[in-house]
Amino acid sequence: MSVVPAQGGGAGGTSGLYDVLELVLDRGLVIDAFVRVSLVGIEILKIDVRVVVASVDTYLRFAEACNRLDLEAGPHRSPGLPDIVGQITEDGARGKTKGALSGAAQSVKDALQQVRGDGDSAPARRGTASRKKEESE
Amino acid sequence: MSTYVYGIARAGADVPEDLTGIGDPPRPVRLVGHAGLAAVVSDCPEELRPKRRDLLAHQRVLTEAGRRTTVLPMRFGSVSEDDEAVAAVLAEHAAHYEERLDRLAGRVEYNIKAVHHEDAVLHLVLAGNAELRSLAEANRAEGGGSYEQRLRFGELVARAVHDREVQDADLVRGALAPLAEEDRPGPESTGWFLNHSFLLKEPAAGALLKEADRLQRDHPQLDLRVHGPLPPYSFTE
Repeated sequence: MSVVPAQGGGAGGTSGLYDVLELVLDRGLVIDAFVRVSLVGIEILKIDVRVVVASVDTYLRFAEACNRLDLEAGPHRSPGLPDIVGQITEDGARGKTKGALSGAAQSVKDALQQVRGDGDSAPARRGTASRKKEESE
Repeated sequence: MSTYVYGIARAGADVPEDLTGIGDPPRPVRLVGHAGLAAVVSDCPEELRPKRRDLLAHQRVLTEAGRRTTVLPMRFGSVSEDDEAVAAVLAEHAAHYEERLDRLAGRVEYNIKAVHHEDAVLHLVLAGNAELRSLAEANRAEGGGSYEQRLRFGELVARAVHDREVQDADLVRGALAPLAEEDRPGPESTGWFLNHSFLLKEPAAGALLKEADRLQRDHPQLDLRVHGPLPPYSFTE
């Protein structure tokens, strides 16, 4: 946690300006009788955060960061990791549905899954049923 | 000569004598009193733009003046025709300003912004979502996956991260709000998933900082930036 003391003027105030800029510019008393100075360029502060989150760059960055992550280590290691291998097949089938829905290109894994599913459709159906059960629980 | 207004205090407010404000060279700060109130003002330079130097000066004047007396902070860039026009405004809204000054007496604003430690939050959303985990494993097995795979996977992750942001924003707000007298959301902006301000008496700040510290220890994905004490920008209305 970083605590930035605003009082004390000088250097302390300077270092924290960026983080409280929007308060200085967008909060505080406004009096109609006073003119407000034209704040050209200030609108840029108000870009909706969702625009950034929705960007392709963010998606790719997350994907790459996840590839780098060591899921077996770290403070958030999943307690259920041993189950993952068993779930990959099942989730592959789910991925197929999503891919079709979103119209995105089928992934190599989905394609493989399809081939497997064509040969033996029973496990796929079983997978779907057990997943539905899971979701309703 | 137009008058730049920093804030409004009570008449006889104890403002440091050598205090200077906006402009280059910095204009001396003075008081314009009327109806038991005093506006903290300086002359306004010909050309005023939201430059770093002047934003800092605005902030510094309010901080220095607010240290000794209660000041209603104005938003940056409030300019009046002249001192007489300032006095007229004080007279017109005196009752309202008095009420706000009473409410804010001895109180300060603390602003909290929350971001996620990226690796920690990615760990968290993957750990809580078997579908994402298996997609990650599959992509990794294929050397990162194709462009479309990465895009689709990243989009799912972004959605899960966003859900986590909403959840953690509630968590932080819910834990800190009971320690403050009032709390209000800050302006929406990029760079953080929670921007929230709290009004409290200065001695209560210690408990707020302690709680923020505890939140971070218990939830390692949280990176909280605490700013304060600030002039109570968010509580003037």
